[in-house]
Amino acid sequence: MTEMLLRALNITKRYGAFTALAGVSFDISKGEVVAVVGPNGAGKTTLVNTLSGLFMPDEGGVMFEGRPVAGLGASALALRGLARSFQLVTIYPSFTVAEMISVGAFARAGQTFRLLRPSATCRREQAQVREVAAAFGLEHRLETTCSALSQGEKKLVDIASALTLRPRLMLLDEPTSGISSADKDRIMETLLAAAQRLGVESLVLVEHDMELIARYATRVIGLKAGSLVADMPPDAFFRDPAVIETLVGKVPHNALG
Amino acid sequence: MATVDLLFAALFNAAVLFLVTAGLQLIFGVQRIVNLTAGSLYALGAYFGASVFEWFSAQGGSPVLLLPVLILSGLLAGQVGFIVERVLRTVYGRDEAFQLLMTFTFVLMFQDVLRYVWGAQPRLLGDLPSVYGTLVVGEFTFPVYNLLVMASALVVAGLLYWLIERTSLGHVVRATAENGRMAEALGANTRRINMLVFVLGSMLGTVGGALVIPTTAASLEMPIALIVEAFAVVVIGGLGSIRGAFLGAIIVGVLRALSLTYFPELEVMSIYLVVIVVLVARPYGLFGKAEA
Amino acid sequence: MKTILAFLAVLAAFVAAPFALGPYYTTLIIPILAYAIALTGLNLLFGYGGLLSFGHAMFLAIGAYASAVMGAKLGVRAFEAQLIVAMLASGTVAALIGLLCLRYTTIFFSMLTLAFGMIFHSFLFKFYDLTGGESGISVPRPSLFGASFASMSKTAFLVGPFYWYALGLFSVMFLLMALIVSSPFGLALKAGRDNERKTSFLGVPVFKVRYVAFILSGIYCAVGGAVLAVSIGAADPELSYWTQSGNMIFIIILGGLGQLFGPIVGAVSFTLLQDTLMANTEYWRFALGAILALIIIFAPRGILGLITRALEWRRR
Repeated sequence: MTEMLLRALNITKRYGAFTALAGVSFDISKGEVVAVVGPNGAGKTTLVNTLSGLFMPDEGGVMFEGRPVAGLGASALALRGLARSFQLVTIYPSFTVAEMISVGAFARAGQTFRLLRPSATCRREQAQVREVAAAFGLEHRLETTCSALSQGEKKLVDIASALTLRPRLMLLDEPTSGISSADKDRIMETLLAAAQRLGVESLVLVEHDMELIARYATRVIGLKAGSLVADMPPDAFFRDPAVIETLVGKVPHNALG
Repeated sequence: MATVDLLFAALFNAAVLFLVTAGLQLIFGVQRIVNLTAGSLYALGAYFGASVFEWFSAQGGSPVLLLPVLILSGLLAGQVGFIVERVLRTVYGRDEAFQLLMTFTFVLMFQDVLRYVWGAQPRLLGDLPSVYGTLVVGEFTFPVYNLLVMASALVVAGLLYWLIERTSLGHVVRATAENGRMAEALGANTRRINMLVFVLGSMLGTVGGALVIPTTAASLEMPIALIVEAFAVVVIGGLGSIRGAFLGAIIVGVLRALSLTYFPELEVMSIYLVVIVVLVARPYGLFGKAEA
Repeated sequence: MKTILAFLAVLAAFVAAPFALGPYYTTLIIPILAYAIALTGLNLLFGYGGLLSFGHAMFLAIGAYASAVMGAKLGVRAFEAQLIVAMLASGTVAALIGLLCLRYTTIFFSMLTLAFGMIFHSFLFKFYDLTGGESGISVPRPSLFGASFASMSKTAFLVGPFYWYALGLFSVMFLLMALIVSSPFGLALKAGRDNERKTSFLGVPVFKVRYVAFILSGIYCAVGGAVLAVSIGAADPELSYWTQSGNMIFIIILGGLGQLFGPIVGAVSFTLLQDTLMANTEYWRFALGAILALIIIFAPRGILGLITRALEWRRR
């Protein structure tokens, strides 16, 4: 039996009369790449926000490493090993890639409140920054200003900055949104390889692209109208037309193989 | 006796404060800009109102027309909002710190415009309110002019409510306030709405200033003194809320009258202490909404 | 390295200034240094932290009054002791109100700092016995490193020992700030300005980072205020008025927001500008307002931004 990292227990989240999540439960163990799928408005982002402690569920709860996430605060949770990225790419426009990646490295080393030493001279953290950048194939971009990057590179820097924390579990909200379909595969491949190289134990990703899911996920969680309607390995998922019909609307012709 | 007089003074203050802060709130509600120029517009209204009425009297106009003449001159002075908005427009979509500072530059500029046109000496309109006489209720006497100003403020409050909640224009304004880009996508002319709202907000400020001139001298201290109180009103009431401005104006009016009577040293301090208490207890004011 | 060279150039200019300009203009430079110190602190909060305070004149006044009260009422003439008290007093006040003000960002932060500034201003104004009311407290000549310079005239003291003292103080405070903004802390502060939520998910306690920046900015303003009080010869309530806070922000924007040299460039340009305008027109406020408006519209990165752009254009 592999080690369990995250447990969502009966989480329910309402906005007024609208129920965004209705009693969703699942566990995530070490070694899993979990794809969260579902139509727009199914509650995918709400799920990620609840798992990462950004939203308090109205009922139920989320445990990370056996301890509740609620009330911990984003920064403490991130340092404990649960990191996340956001649906819209978030970079610091004026930062260089190295600077952006180093923020997490300093936080992880407990150096955020180091006031009188130029960050560029902190060798250990800079070495980590180079290591992370190399894992993402960004080593030649370290001195580039983030705002000058291509959309795909921005995505990668965004995720790299979070992976610098060396989280055990990483939540990715639509890592390939806004990327041309030609590049999606490359981004996903880079991302997964980097995560593995940096010791990330599990990934949860909200994803629309069925081909990517078929290729990379080890498990698929399906949400519809806030309810968990599927939780199965990808081959079972793609072999179940009823489930696909419910969650995706049409059966992708080449994903079935 | 003292209590009733005090309350009356407080409510007169509140009425004027409401007019000006309603303008501030309207502009903030739609444009998300805190208009520091509100105090300058108020002073402009006061000076302009005084000049217009002096001219009107010199032409042989009847002093009985004081109130309508002042309201009209206030509305006229508010048209300066067109110019201010035209300049302010250049920073829409920029960081809000820059928008705030942009209105601050207008405070600086207005200060000298007022000094250039009307000089450094305060302007007083003489004892004009007496043309409307006083209202005697039992042992109390109230100047009718002040009552009329309070009534005007109530009418404006009602009109604003009607305009925003009941008319199609109000509907568009509310939609723009919720989400400018969305409203634009739905066919609203955001540019015109912004212009309209800013000028309307400016007119509320200048009318407020014009109405106060028969009871207070217009002076160069006016803009800053007013903005200090108006800020307290909008923070207490909640930024962007007209209802909040109404309640906030009453609270600040009463506080000011109370402290002026009992602890004159503590006027601004007592008002701002309440501001802080409100912000701690209700982070976005009494009627405010958290920013999305 | 570039920073150090640029700093040396600035330093050289200030060293040469008293010899080149004579006593009258040298007395004008001391307030420039005072503002440069204060605004270097405010720039940390506003430029690097993205928090627009409309109440930092309060901390300037705390520094000025600390120096005045120490010197005039308690008879402590040692400027070093006055500075320490100014920093402690300002740091304490900042630590207290920062807890409250930093619960907000954007406009609400500005409003709340304004509220505290207003309270402090009316406190200075109305509590006559303690603060000297409207006229304030005059500041007796302090001693510097134990030397009292009693035989010097007022101007000789200001343009002589005090000028060099102020310049030394500015240099130390500036270099410390140069380290702070390039430190991991400086990065975290900027990161929180650009995206608060993202930054907290990078393991940065954004509130605490801002809190430290708030206190530091208060301390810098107090040091600037103490220097200012000595150069003016008095601490008065005007120092704490909100329009003063507005001017402080103006100077930072004029120089270049969020740039290390912004405050010093801004302070020099503002003083020159104000001096020129006041000498030429009664309506200098209008001109000042118009110039600020033009800068906001056309050169949001201030004079330094214009210079950078010009250099880049020449290089092409």
